[in-house]
Amino acid sequence: MDFAALGLTLRLAMLTTLCLLVLATPLAAFIARRDALVARLLQATVALPLVLPPTVLGFYLLVTLGPATLFGRALIHLLGHPLAFTFTGLVVGSIVFSLPFAVLPLLLGFQSVDPVLTGTAAVLGASPLTVFHRITLPLARTSFLTAAVLTFAHTVGEFGVVLMIGGDIPGITRTLSISIFDQVQELNYAAANRTSLLLIAGSFLALLALYARRSSRRNSDA
Amino acid sequence: MTPKVLHIAAAADLQPVMPTLTEAYERESGIKLIVSFGSSATLTQQITNGDPQDVFLSADMAHPQMLADAKLTDGTPVSYATGKLVLWARNDSPAQPLSIASLTNARVMRIAVANDAHAPYGLAATQVLTSLGILAKVKAKLVVGENIAQTSQLAESGNAQAGLISLTLANSAHFRSLGSFIPIPDTAYNPLHQGAVVLRSSSQKQLAHDFLRWLTSEPVQNGLHNLGLEPAK
Repeated sequence: MDFAALGLTLRLAMLTTLCLLVLATPLAAFIARRDALVARLLQATVALPLVLPPTVLGFYLLVTLGPATLFGRALIHLLGHPLAFTFTGLVVGSIVFSLPFAVLPLLLGFQSVDPVLTGTAAVLGASPLTVFHRITLPLARTSFLTAAVLTFAHTVGEFGVVLMIGGDIPGITRTLSISIFDQVQELNYAAANRTSLLLIAGSFLALLALYARRSSRRNSDA
Repeated sequence: MTPKVLHIAAAADLQPVMPTLTEAYERESGIKLIVSFGSSATLTQQITNGDPQDVFLSADMAHPQMLADAKLTDGTPVSYATGKLVLWARNDSPAQPLSIASLTNARVMRIAVANDAHAPYGLAATQVLTSLGILAKVKAKLVVGENIAQTSQLAESGNAQAGLISLTLANSAHFRSLGSFIPIPDTAYNPLHQGAVVLRSSSQKQLAHDFLRWLTSEPVQNGLHNLGLEPAK
């Protein structure tokens, strides 16, 4: 069992989830409040990582943000090093890669809030921020759990981006999925099997907890 | 009638070499070669698990021998080329002007090497750093590619300031236009004898053996030098 990879993967998933909840909340709220073209364009952009191969993202992170371009050189000057081969690089990659898994559940949650409630509050003089804070957020709170669990699990399962920009450095960029890949390549099936079973069990439990909570809510609502 | 087709699993160092070889072979024999690339370990792994290839061109002798030991081959591996390791860097890299001392240059923060458990050129790189006595010193700088083609890409994009890559890639027009390389002394690593083998699962073993005979024939062997390989020994 590669414990360094396990610790690294959990750290990456936790940090990505935290960053994404902070970023995704205003983004989802903005998209939910508007029917305009801008909101649809944003929604489509946010959902892109769902359908694009991770290699597209890996390619851009490596080449466009690398020293071969002007933008990449400016970024490297700012950071002191390229994003590739660093934990920060993996966090940036993971945030983009898991963006739809955070934004889309939140968007669904915000959209399911009855507009009569928010409308009434607004008529009664509540500011948009108060409406969001006092009505939308509490009513959509389970979407935050869904967004967090899906983002976390999806980040743990990330492979292509990490393979392309990570450089397989133990303790820094060798995540569980890379560790399994290495073990399979080395024909070390027993080790690959142990790590894989752990991932399957962990992911299954996370999803089970999510769905069990949902169905118990539905039953108590009925 | 559709043209005859051979499926070749080729080590990643052959990526810039195979287009020339396939074109020449197709012209001479009328047989089309369809090539899949990967690290020698990945390809061995895939073939072991039923990847339907006719011929395996490895970057070492060990991986085809593993397949032979597992009775997955038709005959024993033959050496078809000798690979060379070089130190490559972009022209705008702080590793320039290149020398062996570039490896320990403080401004060279990242050195790309291939995974020494998957890729023969990665194993050679580890041997070089060990025989130079600088492995411990540069260990923290190493970034690892899954195969030699990906490794060279890490240096090509400039994310790594230098890379220990195959001469086949360093010698290609693209890499020549972007950077330069210096050879690594032969004495610093075990010779990269590259082995080829026909696979037992192939339904056209005769055609596959014909291709290997062509590949190891004198005219083809003499042309390898221009492609960044040396003849088999």
